[in-house]
Amino acid sequence: MALRGLHCVVLLALALGAQALTPSHHLSPADLDRLKAFLNQPFTDLESAYYSIVGLSKLGIAVSDEHAACQFLKSQLDPSNIDSLFFASEASQALSGCQIPLSNETRDLLLAAVSEDSTMSQIHRSVSTLSSLGLPVASQEVVSALTTRITKEDNVLAIILALQTASRLSQQAELGGILEEIEDLAARLDDLGGIYLQFEEGLEATAHFVTAAYALSDHVDIEPPLKEDQVVQLVNSVFSKKSWDSLSEAFSVASAAAAFSGNRFHIPVVVTSQGPAAVSHRQPMLQLQVTDILSQPLPSISVQVESAHAVASKSVVLSQAPFTLRDGIFELNFMDSQPASGYYQFAVAVTGDSRLVANHVEMKVKVSTEVAINNMDLSVVDKDQSIGTKTTRVEYPSKAKTSFTADSHQNFAMSFQLVDVNTGVELTPHQTFVRLHNQKTGQEVVFVAEPDSKNVYKFELDTAERKSEFDSISGTYALYLIVGDATLENPILWNVADVVLKFLDEEIPSVIQPKNLYVPKPEIKHLFRDPEKKPPTVVSNTFTALVLSPLLLLFILWIKLGANISNFSFTPSCILFHLGHAAMLGLMYVYWTQLNMFQTLKYLAIIGSLTFLAGNRMLAQKAVKRIAAEQSSRLAKYRSLRLASK
Amino acid sequence: MSSSVFSVLSKFVAEYRRSTPAKLKVVDAYLLYILLTGALQFFYCVLVGTFPFNSFLSGFISCVGAFVLGVCLRIQINPQNKSEFLSLSPERAFADFLFAHAILHLVVVNFIG
Repeated sequence: MALRGLHCVVLLALALGAQALTPSHHLSPADLDRLKAFLNQPFTDLESAYYSIVGLSKLGIAVSDEHAACQFLKSQLDPSNIDSLFFASEASQALSGCQIPLSNETRDLLLAAVSEDSTMSQIHRSVSTLSSLGLPVASQEVVSALTTRITKEDNVLAIILALQTASRLSQQAELGGILEEIEDLAARLDDLGGIYLQFEEGLEATAHFVTAAYALSDHVDIEPPLKEDQVVQLVNSVFSKKSWDSLSEAFSVASAAAAFSGNRFHIPVVVTSQGPAAVSHRQPMLQLQVTDILSQPLPSISVQVESAHAVASKSVVLSQAPFTLRDGIFELNFMDSQPASGYYQFAVAVTGDSRLVANHVEMKVKVSTEVAINNMDLSVVDKDQSIGTKTTRVEYPSKAKTSFTADSHQNFAMSFQLVDVNTGVELTPHQTFVRLHNQKTGQEVVFVAEPDSKNVYKFELDTAERKSEFDSISGTYALYLIVGDATLENPILWNVADVVLKFLDEEIPSVIQPKNLYVPKPEIKHLFRDPEKKPPTVVSNTFTALVLSPLLLLFILWIKLGANISNFSFTPSCILFHLGHAAMLGLMYVYWTQLNMFQTLKYLAIIGSLTFLAGNRMLAQKAVKRIAAEQSSRLAKYRSLRLASK
Repeated sequence: MSSSVFSVLSKFVAEYRRSTPAKLKVVDAYLLYILLTGALQFFYCVLVGTFPFNSFLSGFISCVGAFVLGVCLRIQINPQNKSEFLSLSPERAFADFLFAHAILHLVVVNFIG
């Protein structure tokens, strides 16, 4: 039941229009029972007792044994511990007739905790304890301590505790600064998909924020700066989780639920339809449940349809029609407006309380009807003449008495009309199929019957044309008419007649095997890439020889020119240079066959530097020799010139 | 027309034989060898297709690079160009030639595959 309700809510959420956000999660009665059962756990310590007792009181019920609970609180109390005092005093407030013993030391301890040096949690707990024990609190001091702690502990949980603390102070105190923190906190919420709004610290923080914000806003009677959409998104975040991990989480959800259903400014409204949102002649009433998020009825509200229009034709069927309240359910007789079957988009408005949030809801309502088949005429028409042979009329649900025979020269024809039983209007359902089933072979062929312009359905079977669908198997086929649609209450499967089909080129009727899709397919063999076509070895060998031949030519030319190595000096640097150079060329060959670039570079660096040094030396020596030779030749020329001039 | 081309060519060859120093002729012979090798490689590629394209490219680039470096060497050691290369001795030119060749060979062998 709850699941169906949830289903409807989800469908509602999916069908909502672009204008307003409506809650997609709330506490259905089953969820509420689960929450109450979860909170009603036996107490293990003072903290769990606090969560259980106060959580249940927020949901409006009391703990099973109040006296035993009070005894438990008194026995577990540690008067020197502020947290212990907080849990005990808050829980005792929720129980009736339970008093926590008080002493001067306790009071002094609590008052001393209210200072800038205590943590926010300590200030919150001590102020709450003082307030629930009825002791006076210096509100202004508390406010200044809170303001200092907010700047020091700038995290979400601390600020939420500050809001809670402020709601316990006197109304005359300067709470404006703390009130502004609500807006800052609201800005820190993360928007998830436009549907959820929550703190990254999690569900508990979000739920505590809701409780604290509304507690403080109610206390100072100033509306919290939360927009309607934000309120709905907060509702979605807090109530999306339906089973809770810890007592503190369940407690936070219970507090938030109480805040959402009881504060002075925003009351989110949950509109669900009772069962599927569908009406028909048998069930003409559209029934809605309008509650707050604790699934409790809202007092003194009125619900009305602002407009209802058909989805297909967009014509407005209903406008400004009120729902009547009966036994906590809002009803409207939609069939009074005599809608045609199909889907209708409703815009429902809930009014009566200025605090209502998400009170404009869009929903889709289905109107179903029953179909009747009229004027079912079957005939066998000769292809050559278009004049039909006799037409047989069959009435639903009986079957035609004689069977029809059609061979390749004839067509089998069928025509009928589908009308709405209640209104007599012609219908065009989504599914109008004609199925021919061969009883002997189990083969079946399905065709679609199409309506013409006057909404009369016609079906023609051309035996010659369609023989491939039948695999040319002649025999007796049972003819069925299948009519179905989402808006039809009575889908039809009607065995209209038997048709004997005669095909030419008949094959021996064999039992039709279902197509075997699931046998192993033929194996795919991987085809490696064909290696490129290489020229024949003879050609490449010839060209290798050809390419090396200019070397021969070079040596011949050099010898002809008289190039020689007679000037080869056997100095160490010269030998070293030539060896190094030869080694470099050898390294190139080794690189080609074996090494990679990094190794080559390493060896090249070593050999290269050696060669460079040796070569440098050698070339310098050569240069010296050359310059000396040039100078001596110049000197000789000069001398000869001088001799000549003399 | 062809006779004038022929006479120009023969004059050119004679002039070349006469006036070019032996050192430059040695370098010219080397350049001719490089040219022939490159041309033969290209001819082979045109004939049988570019199958190991990287090998063809590296061989061809090797010839082209060696030719260019040889031309640079020839320009730098030509005594007629001495005025343009005052600070560059023939030995330095040869050293540059060898160093550039080392790098060229490294790249070519890397690419030859």
